[in-house]
Amino acid sequence: MGNGNITLTINGEEVTAQKGQTILEAARGNGIFIPTLCYHQKISKTGACRICVVKINDRMIKTSCTEPVTEGMKVETEDEEIVEIRKGILELLLAEGDHNCLYCDANGDCELQSLCYRYGIEPSGSDFPKNTREIDYDSSYGLKRNENRCILCGRCVKACAEIQVKNVWSFAGRGSHAHLTSDISEKIGDSSCVACGTCVQMCPTGALSFQQVLGKGQAWELTKSSSICIYCGVGCKIDFYTNREGQLVKALGCDDGPNNGHLCVKGRFGFDFVQSDKRLKKPLIRKNGNLEEASWDEALDLVVSKFSGYKEKNGPDSIMSFSSAKCTNEENYLLQKFMRAVIGTNNVDHCARL
Amino acid sequence: MILVNDIQNVVDKWGNDSENLMLIMRELETKSGKNQVDKDTLQTLAAVMNIPESTVSGFVDFYTMFKKHPRAKFLIRVSKSGPDHIMGARDVFDFIEEYLGIKPGETTADGVFHLEACECLGVSSVAPAMMINYDIHGNLNRESLKKIFDAYRKKEPSFKSDCGPETYADACIIDNGKQTKRLLAAIGTVKAESIDSYVQNGGYAGLKKTLKECKPEDVITVVKDSGLRGRGGAGFPAGMKWSFVTKGDMQKYVICNADEGEPGTFKDRILMEGNPHAVIEGMAICGYAIDASIGYIYVRGEFRKSIELLQNAIDQARAKGMLGRNILGSGFDFDLFIKEGGGAYVCGEETSLINSMEGERGYPRFKPPFPGGAGFKNLPSNVNNVETFASVPMIMERGADWYKEIGPTNCSGTKLYCLSGKMKNTGLIEMPMGTTLREIINDFGGGMKGGKKFKFAHVGGSAGGILGEDLMDLPLDIDQTTKAGVTLGSGVVLVADEDTCAVDYLLQIMSFFEHESCGQCVPCRVGTSQLHHILKKFANRTAKKEDLDVLIKKATLMQKASLCALGQSPILPIRTMLKYFKDEFIRHCDPGYSCPECDRSLKRYYSGAGH
Ligand SMILES: Cc1cc2nc3c(=O)[nH]c(=O)nc-3n(C[C@H](O)[C@H](O)[C@H](O)COP(=O)(O)O)c2cc1C
Ligand code: SF4
Ligand code: SF4
Ligand code: SF4
Ligand code: SF4
Ligand code: FES
Repeated sequence: MGNGNITLTINGEEVTAQKGQTILEAARGNGIFIPTLCYHQKISKTGACRICVVKINDRMIKTSCTEPVTEGMKVETEDEEIVEIRKGILELLLAEGDHNCLYCDANGDCELQSLCYRYGIEPSGSDFPKNTREIDYDSSYGLKRNENRCILCGRCVKACAEIQVKNVWSFAGRGSHAHLTSDISEKIGDSSCVACGTCVQMCPTGALSFQQVLGKGQAWELTKSSSICIYCGVGCKIDFYTNREGQLVKALGCDDGPNNGHLCVKGRFGFDFVQSDKRLKKPLIRKNGNLEEASWDEALDLVVSKFSGYKEKNGPDSIMSFSSAKCTNEENYLLQKFMRAVIGTNNVDHCARL
Repeated sequence: MILVNDIQNVVDKWGNDSENLMLIMRELETKSGKNQVDKDTLQTLAAVMNIPESTVSGFVDFYTMFKKHPRAKFLIRVSKSGPDHIMGARDVFDFIEEYLGIKPGETTADGVFHLEACECLGVSSVAPAMMINYDIHGNLNRESLKKIFDAYRKKEPSFKSDCGPETYADACIIDNGKQTKRLLAAIGTVKAESIDSYVQNGGYAGLKKTLKECKPEDVITVVKDSGLRGRGGAGFPAGMKWSFVTKGDMQKYVICNADEGEPGTFKDRILMEGNPHAVIEGMAICGYAIDASIGYIYVRGEFRKSIELLQNAIDQARAKGMLGRNILGSGFDFDLFIKEGGGAYVCGEETSLINSMEGERGYPRFKPPFPGGAGFKNLPSNVNNVETFASVPMIMERGADWYKEIGPTNCSGTKLYCLSGKMKNTGLIEMPMGTTLREIINDFGGGMKGGKKFKFAHVGGSAGGILGEDLMDLPLDIDQTTKAGVTLGSGVVLVADEDTCAVDYLLQIMSFFEHESCGQCVPCRVGTSQLHHILKKFANRTAKKEDLDVLIKKATLMQKASLCALGQSPILPIRTMLKYFKDEFIRHCDPGYSCPECDRSLKRYYSGAGH
């Protein structure tokens, strides 16, 4: 063995895994696909959706996301019986919820949809009753919730508890009446939710989605570009998505940054200014109480004359500067240099956070 | 109105730790005077305890005994589970509607009574039964119900249980001199309230002998040799389980599973109420064997009387030095505490029980890890059933060979069988493992009630199998039942006569599973609801023959893919019921077929608001 390594067979091929790994981790590490829904590497294991079942040693059926690898274990990830089970589970999920991908924010980016497609499952048209659950599109400025698309995987509950440590979500009810709740049965907008959006990013379906900030676009119409959040010193890495019209649509935390994919409310939703028509694009000078467009020369001349006037009349300490966290370090440096060397004051401050 | 101060006091009394949530919630509910824990109370509680509101809310919502909405001064819960169903639960609901004017979910106009339907209350020998606040009453009929309600109208609620005498431990034993009494020998002889009485009758001799003569590993050897297997349902060898508990310096726990929720089971309650010290002694011996200094008994919340008697016994044992530090001068420390349930069958599943003990929703955990490796607070814990622990003192006192003298080689000892349903006599009996259905019905049940014809026996609880005439002589032990495609389970023998409709009965069982599924895993959460729906179609006479295949297909998927044994179980009653009564199901596919039994259930449970 050595090095805590374990040898096992997956689908007839001998592979190596680390002691303590699950079958799923071992399979993924060796490029072998096993479908999952409730599993997410960032949160503790749940073992609830059962879609990741595999066959061990030709007889036991176990969930690969929870079952540890053992030496000499023989794993079959997808024989006829396992496929049958997966199809059965997907059928149950489709019967339980109300899934019309035509109207869903997750269309094209939905783990349930992609598995139903992969295993060829269509809604059965059965007469099994559905429990109608909560739809709340309005109460929060950040989040939308349509629980009829919820598969109760628990990823949002754990994301909020283990990553954001805000513990807003929990399950309520029991059995077929189980459903999500925030705080004590509050609407999400009335709850203690801080709208960091972590739960939405972790949701495998369209049950939780973002309020639209700008633009519109479905998953396959979007282009991703990575950037760094401009708001604070954490420097979270963000994947911004732009639609075909070039408008920003959403921001997802990027796993490569110091934030490990996590964002706060500002990085998540604070990008509406980028394409706002209220943005300053030319200098404006107030004339007779009205702001009027001016040239850069005209504007700068005005600033110079005003600053010089005040400095002469009241001394340099009558002037202070307040710079912005939205500017770069270089810009902030230049401003304090300007205040000290040109104006001649130490009255320098900065809005350390936004 | 519960004030912040009241809440603070309750939290201080039980300790500010979410593992005490159940006790805190129960006291707040009682204080409300309306059997309610309202939103304001929960919000304040979360603030006082400094835990998330969602945790408190999710917790209350899981346990059916608690409700956020107001109920009434007296909360009536009528059991509709298998044994009660067969013995007339529907008549009870009918009478209540007639006499008090309320249906499940409703409150009387004067605000005195609120009615709910619930699952088995653990008194099936006196079914049909109900519970008013924490008092259990059985053998209900029109006259007794009227008397009970009239009496409660004049009463003020009190937290102390005041159960009907028909539920008392000795009253629930069928005493005809034919039993092989080991566990039951003490019941009626020993006074449950008195440790002296227990000691005078040879109590604590097993613990004394163990501490004096045995090393911990010897205890495990003796228990292994005795062949004792778990009596909670799965039949796992007890000594082997003890030997699997992780060794080392960490804290370890002994946990006694007294959740007894399997419909038809009432043996654990009788042991706890008739001879509580035997359970305590067994647990202490286990603690010594696995090096655990703390034990918990998780008792279902409905068993108020068991809780009172156990607490009294624990206090006495502490005072007498049978619990606490340095027991009998041996250097062994062991103390015992009670945890309570909140009305959830699934919490009898050992890992769900552990989550519940921690103040969580009672979701079963995936295994591995098993409790022996990571149980309560993720520390090594050994979980056994009440009957299992109660068997340990005599094994230690008299030896493994003595214990094995009775019962088959691989399932030694006696077994408590819980008799209910349509027999002349119902109650608890103790017989060698492997007693047959025929012996049970004829020798103890006194034959069928009212000379009716036997139709089937449901053995092992709702999760058990249906046995017909052909299995009358099957030895009801752990292995033989499994071999025959059924199960001994917890030892329930519920007998149904020709008046029972197979469809109507299975409908109740499927309603039970849907109600009790924890809702965590997909196959069981959705599966139990679909099975229930299909049964409703048969009862409605709108099903097609092919629906039988769907039933089997869904239940098979659940068996293969569910996370815990709850979801894996429904296939057993379905398959075995269809083995005998497929024709009856097919007859129900004809819309013109008349079935008064199904009609009654549909009208009683499936019409009106919410259905
Ligand atoms: C849904 C469900 C309910 C259960 N209920 C009980 C119960 O009420 N009492 C009990 O002792 N075991 C119950 N069990 C079995 C326990 O999980 C566990 O096997 C048992 O407590 C172990 O004790 P034993 O080995 O002494 O039998 C239940 C299991 C399941 C799946
Ligand atoms: S959640 Fe997924 S499967 Fe459901 S409607 Fe949305 S895209 Fe379709
Ligand atoms: S909302 Fe999304 S993440 Fe949360 S339980 Fe439902 S499907 Fe899972
Ligand atoms: S403002 Fe929020 S998202 Fe932006 S860098 Fe700071 S923590 Fe990250
Ligand atoms: S099988 Fe049922 S009770 Fe068990 S974990 Fe799954 S949903 Fe819960
Ligand atoms: S991914 Fe393994 S059980 Fe959900």
